[in-house]
Amino acid sequence: MSQPRRLRVALAGNPNAGKSTVFNALTGSHQHVGNWPGKTVEKKEGSFRYRDLWVDIIDLPGTYSLSAYSPEERIAQEFITQEHPDVVVNVVDASNLERNLYLTAQLLEIGVPLIIVLNMTDVAEQLGYKIDVARFSQLLGVPVIPAVASKGEGMEVLREYLYQAAQDPSQFAPPHALVQYEHEMERSVRQLTEALQGLSDLQGYQPRWLAVKLIEGDTQAHDIVAHAPGGDEVLALLDKIMDKLRRTYGEDVDIVLADARYGFVRGLTRQVLTLPKQPPRTLSDRIDQIVTNRWLGIPLFLFLMYLMFNLVQRVSAPYMDWIDSLFSGPVPQWTLAALHALHAPDWLSSLVVDGAIAGVGSVLVFVPSLMVMFFALAFMEDSGYLARAAFVMDKMMGFLGLNGRAFIPMILGFGCNVPAVYATRTIENRGARILTGLLIPFMSCSARLPVYVVFGMAFFGAKAGLVVWSLYLIGIATAAIAGWALARWVFPEVHQSVFVLELPRYRLPTWQGLWLHTWEHTSEFVRKAGTVILGISVLLWFLLNLPWGVTDPRESYFGRVSGALAPVFEPAGFGTWQAAGALVSGFVAKEVVISTMSQIYVGEQEARMGESATPLNWREDARAIVAGFLEATRDAGKAFLDVLTPGVSLFPHDEGAQRETALSRALHNAFTPLSAFAFLVYVLLYTPCAATIAAQAQEYGWRWAGFSVLLGLTTAWVLAVAVFQIGRLLGWG
Amino acid sequence: MTDRAMPLTMLPPGRAGRIVEIHAGQRLKQRLVGMGLAPGNTVQVLQDNGGPLLLAVGESRIALGRGMAHKILVQSVPLPTPRGEFAP
Repeated sequence: MSQPRRLRVALAGNPNAGKSTVFNALTGSHQHVGNWPGKTVEKKEGSFRYRDLWVDIIDLPGTYSLSAYSPEERIAQEFITQEHPDVVVNVVDASNLERNLYLTAQLLEIGVPLIIVLNMTDVAEQLGYKIDVARFSQLLGVPVIPAVASKGEGMEVLREYLYQAAQDPSQFAPPHALVQYEHEMERSVRQLTEALQGLSDLQGYQPRWLAVKLIEGDTQAHDIVAHAPGGDEVLALLDKIMDKLRRTYGEDVDIVLADARYGFVRGLTRQVLTLPKQPPRTLSDRIDQIVTNRWLGIPLFLFLMYLMFNLVQRVSAPYMDWIDSLFSGPVPQWTLAALHALHAPDWLSSLVVDGAIAGVGSVLVFVPSLMVMFFALAFMEDSGYLARAAFVMDKMMGFLGLNGRAFIPMILGFGCNVPAVYATRTIENRGARILTGLLIPFMSCSARLPVYVVFGMAFFGAKAGLVVWSLYLIGIATAAIAGWALARWVFPEVHQSVFVLELPRYRLPTWQGLWLHTWEHTSEFVRKAGTVILGISVLLWFLLNLPWGVTDPRESYFGRVSGALAPVFEPAGFGTWQAAGALVSGFVAKEVVISTMSQIYVGEQEARMGESATPLNWREDARAIVAGFLEATRDAGKAFLDVLTPGVSLFPHDEGAQRETALSRALHNAFTPLSAFAFLVYVLLYTPCAATIAAQAQEYGWRWAGFSVLLGLTTAWVLAVAVFQIGRLLGWG
Repeated sequence: MTDRAMPLTMLPPGRAGRIVEIHAGQRLKQRLVGMGLAPGNTVQVLQDNGGPLLLAVGESRIALGRGMAHKILVQSVPLPTPRGEFAP
């Protein structure tokens, strides 16, 4: 008994049933996010301890049913039937019982030990639904636990049941085949089940479930039987049975099976669910009448986007200043002092301070704005608005030959293009999938934001928010035009693929859910800053300082290559070697554009200014850091309230105040507002990063990835030149 | 009007219909069925702005592209309970 016992649990349920809330409530921070082997579907695992029992939980992808038709459903089905979890916990939305129980019916058919979590009973209660839980559990022969996972209600009971399951999981196996089919169908299922029972190698599948899947026409089930010794005879029998079934039911044999499941579900809900006499008009429906309104929907969407970017801009700015002050003051000073104490050579000090710390620091500055951005995206997703945005945009997307479903990967592109490219897998039509993948890079990802912010604050002052917003719009407009042209000439076969999307009930996101979302993405970014960006910063330092002893960066290897490229950007107004150099390193990752610039420009400037020699005072520095953070928090709070009350300025901020960092001073010497804007347009539209190219190559092949790079480079150049030249004609230059 | 099957797109907003037939490939049909758009189930059109339809299927709200909605045949049925608030 010294070895703790372990229980393996799979969490299954519909999308939006609150599966991840249950998962988070059970595991807390003990979780690990990865991918299913060979798939790009997210895999979440976690564990928790209850008395002397360790419970390992695998969060299966959210699915409406179990079939082999989508990667998510296939993963869920394969895991349950082949990996043999001890228990499956099925999370069911109590306020949407009938639809959710379709999946439950299939889980019962499989015959695994099952525990049902009847989640969101508070919502069901508000709607006036009464559910007879005891009867429910009695009819199914498995435990049914009422719960409100977002408040932790019912989780203790669930833990207790899981503890019981560890003694003997089979006590929670459904007692007999609950889903019964119609006369002839039932006879066929039984006949086939018997034949399958004679086979030796069913790869863990239960014969009855496999029989049902065979009749449904599931290709995976077909393959399993074909590979089993003696499977040919069973398949011959299947052909005969199918002939007979088609004579009785017509071509839609699979629909007959679905019908029987819904029949079972309806019978069940009739016995356990009492509906109110007059169904209430839900708040969710009332919100939808406004949000998805024909005339209001799109303006409202644009307004929310504007609000979001303003929030990102204004709330994060004080924190960014604070981090910036760390990396321009105490951190390099303390490091230099430490290196001196260790008698490090000057070149090493320069590598560490001017290369590594300056490079990584200039990227870490953007962590606050990314956090706000990820938080806002998570809020839109968890509240249910994101699906509405897809609904509202479907008609517009039709213009690009795409549908509203393609809109979600594109919105995700605002966070990061890489997961967005993978998210196109949910689009069935291959042409539509590739087309969406080609347009995603025009969605301005969060890594591009730092570049806009630095330039925006340096050149456009209080109008920086507007400039950033306009860049996002230019990205969307470019995607629209490119999409229209590509759908017309490159993918003529992409006619409207099918758009089906559930609009989940609006709900107030939980802090825990939002925080986990935000943290996951931010920590990924910080890891990247610690590895890729550190590597590039160090490499860049060498390129800037080689050949050995070079004093003028223009004469370095980096300067020479960038100088050769610079004339290409002359017509766009930024034909300097520094700008070209920043764009070259930005090809690897956009985060690097700013760190490159600060290495080139600020490095140059500091060389002129010489080092300021202030004596170190640790205690004074530490006090200043803490005070700075508190002040930043106060300013961010004010900005937050200001942004949320558009039109009313509660805390008017000083219009003239601009962030005067070393970099923004240097940029003023190198750019005019017009050439700065042209530069931003170029940064917006050219290849987002090496990782996106790799993702595109993986999903659509190298040919399309190459096409995407060319598309980005040419569009970016043409538009940046157009902005600069037209601006000059209008006398803005 | 009550017993003839018609495409879902012809159902006026606020009205409900029972699904009779779905014309789609097996893959797509299975997906629709999983989401509750199964023959025998009742759907109500909540909104029709000329773009995708907004449907109520039981307690779920589902957005369905027009192209697909054309291929779902329904029989108009009276609403089991008054929900006429969505009618214009």
